[in-house]
Amino acid sequence: MTVRPLGADSDLPISGRTATAASPWRLFWRRNGAGYAFLTPWFVGFFGLTIGPALISLYLSFTDFNLLQSPHWVGDANYLRIFTADAKFMQALRVTFFFAVVSVPLKLAFALAIAMLLNRGLKGLPIYRAIFYLPSLLGASVAIAVLWRELFAGDGVINQLLGYVGITGPSWISNPRYALWTIILLAVWQFGSPMVIFLAGLRQIPQDLYEAAAIDGASKARQFWSVTLPLLTPVIFFNAIIQGIDAFKSFTPAFIISGGTGNPINSTLFYTLYLYQEAFGFFRMGNAAALAWILLIIIAVFTGISFLTSRYWVYYDE
Amino acid sequence: MRSNRRQFLLGSAAVLAAGASGFRPAFAADANLRQIFWGSQERANRTYKTNDLFTAANPGTKITGEFYAWNDYWPKLATETAGGNAPDIIQMDYRYIVEYATRQAIAPLDEFVGKELDLHDFDQDQIEGGKVNGKLYGISLGANSVASIVNTAAFKEAGVPVPDNNFTYDDLRAACEAFKKANIRGGMKAFQDGSGVEPLLENWLRQRGKALYTADGKLGFDAKDATEWFKLWNDLRNDGLIVSADDQALDTGPLDQTMVIQGKAAVTFANSNQLVAFQALTKDPLTITAFPRVGKDGKGGHYRKPSMFWSVAQQSKLQSDAAKYLSFFINDVNANKTVLGVERGIPAAASVRNAIAPTLSPQDQVALHFVANLGDLLGPIPPPPPSNAGEIDIDLILKTSQQVAFGQQSPEDAGPAFVQQATDILSRKG
Amino acid sequence: MTSEAIARPRPPRSKGRSPVASVIIHALLIIASIAMLYPLLWMLAAALRPQQEIFSTTSIIPSSISFEAFGRGWNGLQVSFGTFFTNSIIISVLCVIGNLAACSLTAFAFARLKFWGKNFWFALMLGTLMLPYQVTLIPQYVLFKDLGWVNTFLPLVVPKYLAVDSFFIFLMVQFFRGIPRELDEAAMIDGCSTFQIYYKIMLPLSVPVLTTAGIFTFIFTWDDFFGPLIYLNDMKNYTVTLALRSFVDSTSQSDYGGLFAMSVLALIPIFLFFLFFQRLLIEGIATTGMKR
Repeated sequence: MTVRPLGADSDLPISGRTATAASPWRLFWRRNGAGYAFLTPWFVGFFGLTIGPALISLYLSFTDFNLLQSPHWVGDANYLRIFTADAKFMQALRVTFFFAVVSVPLKLAFALAIAMLLNRGLKGLPIYRAIFYLPSLLGASVAIAVLWRELFAGDGVINQLLGYVGITGPSWISNPRYALWTIILLAVWQFGSPMVIFLAGLRQIPQDLYEAAAIDGASKARQFWSVTLPLLTPVIFFNAIIQGIDAFKSFTPAFIISGGTGNPINSTLFYTLYLYQEAFGFFRMGNAAALAWILLIIIAVFTGISFLTSRYWVYYDE
Repeated sequence: MRSNRRQFLLGSAAVLAAGASGFRPAFAADANLRQIFWGSQERANRTYKTNDLFTAANPGTKITGEFYAWNDYWPKLATETAGGNAPDIIQMDYRYIVEYATRQAIAPLDEFVGKELDLHDFDQDQIEGGKVNGKLYGISLGANSVASIVNTAAFKEAGVPVPDNNFTYDDLRAACEAFKKANIRGGMKAFQDGSGVEPLLENWLRQRGKALYTADGKLGFDAKDATEWFKLWNDLRNDGLIVSADDQALDTGPLDQTMVIQGKAAVTFANSNQLVAFQALTKDPLTITAFPRVGKDGKGGHYRKPSMFWSVAQQSKLQSDAAKYLSFFINDVNANKTVLGVERGIPAAASVRNAIAPTLSPQDQVALHFVANLGDLLGPIPPPPPSNAGEIDIDLILKTSQQVAFGQQSPEDAGPAFVQQATDILSRKG
Repeated sequence: MTSEAIARPRPPRSKGRSPVASVIIHALLIIASIAMLYPLLWMLAAALRPQQEIFSTTSIIPSSISFEAFGRGWNGLQVSFGTFFTNSIIISVLCVIGNLAACSLTAFAFARLKFWGKNFWFALMLGTLMLPYQVTLIPQYVLFKDLGWVNTFLPLVVPKYLAVDSFFIFLMVQFFRGIPRELDEAAMIDGCSTFQIYYKIMLPLSVPVLTTAGIFTFIFTWDDFFGPLIYLNDMKNYTVTLALRSFVDSTSQSDYGGLFAMSVLALIPIFLFFLFFQRLLIEGIATTGMKR
């Protein structure tokens, strides 16, 4: 088992035959042709559908585009305003960072723990797995908004339960001090996707490694630390990156819980919710585009750092 | 951006189509109007039946309608408009009409008035309500007024007289105290917290001779007014007379979250045409009454607000056909009587209103009489709100009210801060 | 060595666990299940109870039960829900096929092949995950409109065949890299082409991750409302999720009972899809297994 960053040199050569001396183009094709051939659909999608709209949004971020009229170039005015005179931007950043920092580790730990539990030879496992995935199926259903209020309002189910042990709780979902926590809970509760990915990852670990470890006298805990966890690092890495990006871009939970307002007192004003308000509520698509590119830079920096550190803790069996 | 090329392409496509169908002359005269509105299937059914009646009366003009829920409607419409694909006939809201009109997304209709568009017995205040910068951009689909939605059963239970149109803010406090004493239904309050309700603030300001916005797009009140407003409600809240900050913050807009439906308060502030929708969500009988008066002689706070409009897209190539449809929609007695009713509000054309009045359900009658009998409560229609006002109306007022309610700001600080932030928003460009 | 000769992991069957431990685990799982099932029960209760009761009571037990909301909901819009279900299934299945084919090709290139600019393209691919869709929506709309695709399924389906979902590419890359490299090398010595390695070695060994990707695509597509909202106009083309949103307008009279009834029904296909295909997560691997 070796540590190997993406794109290391031992990658598969594209052909067993040796290249005969030819024009540089032919040589290029020999070396790279298969890779580019396999990427063809992606290239068509990337250049045909993705990059154009992305670059247009970058252009719009330097304009006063208001959705309804032709955009006018305003230079760095949007960015300048965001960084110097936008209290909501700072608030949205605070909310989003807090959400990401708290919800991602919680969700991953929960997903991994349940996946480990469900990876055993228990009876009725398919049913359990499906049940645990159920909250994630609900997506952006209107029902969740209503349900979450039934649970976390002042006279909701949670406070009724707390009442049995003599605690009088606030209205969690509408109190600026706690509202964000109810959304964090919602995000953690919808842990189905990372759980399934963990399950698939656990399936991929060869059973004989455990048997070998057992023969060597390793305890269950030791097996977890020396077999399961290292071999699962690519999947953990993936889940952490994806959940991190999703958390920064998180829109739906806050949108349905606060009805798109980010209230009480902007305590649930997620970054993309603010962006959405600016774009479609207040007709400032130029400003929203600037917000989007700032977010992209923030996410890219974090993701880049994660990739740099990954070579020290992510193991690929190559 | 690329509309020239697009128009050119569209143009050539039309020429080709006309050429290809040369042997079918009727085709060239066909007009297919696209129509978009927000609402529910109930509203759609009424609208589509009206469309059929219109097509029957005007062969060759077809109307294809689409409807969306309020929250989905605006991104959809904005995307279609931005993409050069705006529907011809667009349902507009009182707040958004300014944004769409000042950005030239909807067309002024003045040139059609008296020709395709018949407004001869249309209420003058409803015509005024559809004007932006002196031009007519929207045809009112019904006159509406703000109104208190009152749970009469709760008032009876508490032994408190149901508020009427002479109800004042002093009466409000008295009713709240009586409710507190009666302690019905686990401490139900008489009133919701009104400090974050923009129409209520506007109504209160108008009774004091002020306004939310002036005709030249400035704030129509000062920090002293704002402080007094937030203090009024803060005192009620601190005395435990209205719903708590926690409970009030549960209301994020939809009807089902209002305090009267949640059973937290017996009165919620809303609009007269929503009585039927509210009633569908609760077993308790509801009625409507005016917003409180600032004193016994407080008057002129209410106005007959267009509940919504039909507008015509600037991009539409069939503007005169669209105007003809609008005219049919507001003037056709048969369509209004048999299918439209007052679902969108009380019709603004006098002949139509008189014709449908006897056919209405008891609850619709309540709404009709309420709007018709506002008396001295009724004032002139205010100028349309300035651009960017939406951020104040739906965001800033509510946020400031919550800051006071949750104790983050005293009313004395909140008043000046609110006025400062509102002024900043109004002066913001782009 | 052929692909059959590879170690197939099996679920680690616990041997000799005490009955007590087993009972405790089941008890924990059942308690957790209730927390997971509560929303479904609540939705069902909301569908069965009188509408006026939905928002004013916190009890989950309805005062009276009526299945009327299901019938009302099914035909509650001008087009019946049968059409919406058909549309949703067509779109979701087409998206699953597209995503599996296009993303696995792309992921194979990134995970296994050597070519110039790989890290650059990989970074760009990940970068597309990071831009909020809200700001690319309008340019994309203009693009699809110019192609004449508005009010068809094409804007929802075609992108999947062009691997625009970086999430799935990245997912597959991570799993492909976990497959032992000796297998490709052995196959290459046997004279397999690159495509054969992808097709005959990679794909069969990747059933868990392909299943995962398939399940996710199906569910994400089913649950998506923004794409259908923007691109579909005619209600005959609506998906279930978009239709559900047409049920309730927050400003006027709405049928909440019908909404919750249809919300429960809308869960059934994705729930069954998950229940059925999750077997492949587990069993797909163990079927042809031979010990190394």
